[in-house]
Amino acid sequence: MRHRTALRWIVCAALAGILATSPAWAAAPSPKYGGVLNAMHREDPPSLSLIEEATVSVNWGVAPCYNNLVVFDPVKSQESPQSIIGDLAEKWEWRDGGKTLAFALRRGVHWHDGHPFTSADVKYTFDLIREAPGMSVKLRLNPRKLWYAQVQAIDTPDPSMVLFRLKRPQPSLLMMMASGYSPIYPAHIPPAELRTRCVGTGPFKLREYRPGELIEFVRNPDYFVKGRPYLDGIRFIIIKERGTRIAALQAGRLDIMMPQEGTKPAGEQLKQAVPSMIVTIAAHNINDNILVNFKRPPFTDVRVRRALSLAIDRQAYIQAVRQGAALAGASLLPRPWGLWGLGPSALAGLPGTGNPVTQKAEARQLLAEAGFGPGKPLRVVMSTRALATYVDMATFVIDQLKQVGVDATLEQIESAVWFAKLTRGDYQLGANLTGIGADDPDAAFYENYACGSQRNYSQYCNPEVDRMIDAQSQEPDPQKRAATVAEIQRRLETDGARPILGWDLDYFAMWPYVHGFVPHNSVYNNGRFQDVWLSK
Amino acid sequence: MSQVDAVAASAPAAALIRRRPGGARVFARRSPLGAIGAFLMLVVILAGLAAPVVATHDPTRTDATQTFTPPGPRHWLGTDHLGRDIYSRLVHGARVSLAVGIACALLGGLGGGAVGLVSGLAGRRVDTVVQPLLDIMQGFPLLVLALVMTAALGPSLGTVIVAISVPFIPRVARVVRAVALGVRETTYVEAARAIGAGGARVALRHVLPNTVAPLVVMTTAQLGSAILVEASLSFLGLGIPEPYPSWGRMLSVSATEFAQRAPWLVIFPGLAISLVVFASNLFGDGLRDYLDPRLRI
Amino acid sequence: MRTFVVHRLGLAAVTLAGMSIVIFVLLRLAPGNIVDLLFSAAGYVDPAEKQRIVHELLLDRPIAVQYVQWAGALLHGDLGKSYRYGLPAAQLIGPRVPVTVELAVMGMVVAILVGLPTGIVSATRQNTATDYGLRIFSLAGLSMPAFWLGMLIILLLVRVTGWIPPMLYVPVRENFGLHVLQFLFPALAVGYRSAALINRMTRSSMLEVLREDYVRTGRAKGLGGRVVVYRHALRNALLPVVTVVGTEFAFLIGGLVVTETVFNLPGVARFLVEAILWRDYPVVQNLVMLIAIVVVLSNLAVDLLYARLDPRVRYA
Repeated sequence: MRHRTALRWIVCAALAGILATSPAWAAAPSPKYGGVLNAMHREDPPSLSLIEEATVSVNWGVAPCYNNLVVFDPVKSQESPQSIIGDLAEKWEWRDGGKTLAFALRRGVHWHDGHPFTSADVKYTFDLIREAPGMSVKLRLNPRKLWYAQVQAIDTPDPSMVLFRLKRPQPSLLMMMASGYSPIYPAHIPPAELRTRCVGTGPFKLREYRPGELIEFVRNPDYFVKGRPYLDGIRFIIIKERGTRIAALQAGRLDIMMPQEGTKPAGEQLKQAVPSMIVTIAAHNINDNILVNFKRPPFTDVRVRRALSLAIDRQAYIQAVRQGAALAGASLLPRPWGLWGLGPSALAGLPGTGNPVTQKAEARQLLAEAGFGPGKPLRVVMSTRALATYVDMATFVIDQLKQVGVDATLEQIESAVWFAKLTRGDYQLGANLTGIGADDPDAAFYENYACGSQRNYSQYCNPEVDRMIDAQSQEPDPQKRAATVAEIQRRLETDGARPILGWDLDYFAMWPYVHGFVPHNSVYNNGRFQDVWLSK
Repeated sequence: MSQVDAVAASAPAAALIRRRPGGARVFARRSPLGAIGAFLMLVVILAGLAAPVVATHDPTRTDATQTFTPPGPRHWLGTDHLGRDIYSRLVHGARVSLAVGIACALLGGLGGGAVGLVSGLAGRRVDTVVQPLLDIMQGFPLLVLALVMTAALGPSLGTVIVAISVPFIPRVARVVRAVALGVRETTYVEAARAIGAGGARVALRHVLPNTVAPLVVMTTAQLGSAILVEASLSFLGLGIPEPYPSWGRMLSVSATEFAQRAPWLVIFPGLAISLVVFASNLFGDGLRDYLDPRLRI
Repeated sequence: MRTFVVHRLGLAAVTLAGMSIVIFVLLRLAPGNIVDLLFSAAGYVDPAEKQRIVHELLLDRPIAVQYVQWAGALLHGDLGKSYRYGLPAAQLIGPRVPVTVELAVMGMVVAILVGLPTGIVSATRQNTATDYGLRIFSLAGLSMPAFWLGMLIILLLVRVTGWIPPMLYVPVRENFGLHVLQFLFPALAVGYRSAALINRMTRSSMLEVLREDYVRTGRAKGLGGRVVVYRHALRNALLPVVTVVGTEFAFLIGGLVVTETVFNLPGVARFLVEAILWRDYPVVQNLVMLIAIVVVLSNLAVDLLYARLDPRVRYA
């Protein structure tokens, strides 16, 4: 008897000791169920079809409806192969020396309309994107077909197993499948229908889309992750006017900001007005860059191109145009925010990063060699869309070019016409933003820098760089791969393929009663809200 | 309702207007507010013309070290998010905004005047063709027509001017036509015709002098409307394009976003627009009182 | 009288038809169409797919054919489908019309409540300090950009009170008080300008009438000043004001467009602007025709009203 009482006392004391000394237990509030999250949204998504679009306005606003095979862990801000967790896939492994990727899928998952989810849906989705031969259905828009160019065939030995057979190894495939742009579509619904409604397997069902007003979701009671989601619903409230958006967040009409909307002044102002507001600094994985028309004189001359890149002081750009809330970098998100990008020390020596005075002098000299000077100034037109971000960028660049004697003027192009001009090659310089769907060289390089790629607007073409891109894509040794990727980035900058001015930072703000949301270093991949809860 | 429509709505169907004696001095005495308006406008116009001299900085020079500075000795009205001096941008913007406003007002006035004269004097057949055309153009609300035209013609300085002027033409034409018709019916003109005076002579000697007053009043009203419409177009993204500095664009691009941090970004361009339109309205009022009280609104 | 009405109706029909052609052609003059915009959002172009969508939307047919097809459908009440959203245009436009109408009405109410009394006061106290003050106040209302005023209101609200009106439309049935609050501030922004116009119109009409002989006669007969003012002068001065109010609705559109944008109201005016930017031809055309019908009909109503009251006009 006495032993048992003593034992009980010991156990109680031990428990009390653990409870008292464990800060995590004491601090972490436990999630509450219920409530509707009011999320900021800046515009109508061009359509509700995630796979067909290429703007964050779709990821943020439609992602709660879907699931991927794999996702980046929502609670980890840096996305990496180590942070990939299963979504619809339970387990996966590489086979055949990296040429086959096998997924074991969850069982008992259903689409929002009740149909069962099987491996046929996975095969259908990726066959659709890669435009596999024999597919009778076609997407209207297909911006990321290149991502799956190495997929030879997709086998489904049983309803819970999918095998991706590749032409050659591609370690990046998993990273791209984890991107917010890689949801699984239902095979039993035509893709055209998914432009106006949403049928997924995700934690939330689309309740209503009122164009220009809101996108409303309600919780999916049959979601395959038991106990999720916590929220009863999400309302993405569309507010077109930027000042009004910030005011709405400040006044509590909105609970959480939209990624890419957090400029430094907005974030600071919110923090000042509402000291309890949680403001986190995160990266977008979007870079500001200049498009240089390689096919049009005088930019056919490599000296002129180099002079251009030398003339633009990157640090000044970051200070002047982004109020310091941006990172200098090359073509991949710079470390330590990203995995592959050249960090500050590695960037030294690349055009635009050194002493601005000497670099501008060098630029003037190069221009003189190319035949331009005070008597015969180089005249260029910089084209830009009418949006504030682009105009500010262009204004700054023109100012910098003026300082090396280039007579640059700004040309404003309406959005409806901008893109046609780009693809026709009817421009000299253009202000541009490039977003990268996953922090991976394959996602960035093929689209933007490979010879003949549709999104390679400058028409930059360097066969040696193409070879290096292919080499790193199938390189199994991570260190060798990193070295090649670093070399590619250096090459692209020295070639002036697409002078990168900076990688923007987000001052992401949300009210303190919003829990479970960790901003990622990418605006595209964290929009599911599966683990988000409200404490009010 | 635009100022222009208000003026047009109140113009009498047949107005024979007597010319008022005296010049600027009488004007100032009769309408002190109008004189103030004229003076203000003159100041702004001169500032705009002398912009390179009056401005303190280069309006396009960005300066990373001077972003968001409040109004002070170095930057009289502060700087914006790119470090550009607001005062200098306002002064240079005055050129563009005023030039566009005046061009639109003149184009609308002259165009409308010409159309109205032709319609009123050239006989029934021409009138029956022109009238429905005017009705069609006037059926579109001013801003809507300007919007669609700017979208149709593409954003350039020229197209914005045309897009804002065109909606004015029918409104002016209507008033001028009414005056022309009224004058044509008077016995005075009939007598002139009887002795063989040609149509052009009638127009020049009898009709034109009487249309001057309402035309002048409408043109000054149009100046204010044009500046406001341009500002709205800029706010919606379709106004005077870069690189021309424009007050309307200063208000729309980034100003509202940074407004709480730097209120001077929103206050000063808005004040500038309001002040110029206010002055032109004052001047227009005074002018109308001076020329003919019956057109008073 | 009947021939006059018929004549006017005929003119109205011709005007509307002409307006439909103008808007149709103007839209197609604009460079770029919906297909360009759809692809630009995705960042690349597939020429075959582009051709297919253009064909599907009938954009490759000759303009005259497209016009006849649209006009015919419109006369049957078919408003077509939005290019941008893929939804029926009627479904998109329908719920937005009451919002804009309500904002316009509330704006007019504000305008009358503010403009009329101040106009009367200004007229009866002509050339005093009050008169000058009110005239400057109303002139300021005509001089301010409507969106600037709206933006200032929102910024002041959030800065001073930490509160702004709801960003999502609150239906009357859901919460009457909040609904009124949501429309109050934009109505103030929109109504200030109209109030200024009504103020000026009232003032000048009253001044004219106050000078007329019969008012002098009334005074000579010994009637008190106030009686003279309110009974005789006001009634006569109101006629032009009523005309202005009647036609004012259509011309409010400019202020409505920017106010709806700033205050995030889901109205038809703001929707029109976005449709123009997106080259959403069916929506733009049908909305503009809707506005045109309202304008032309209200002008017609005013003309008919005048004709009834003033015989001279009928035979003009």
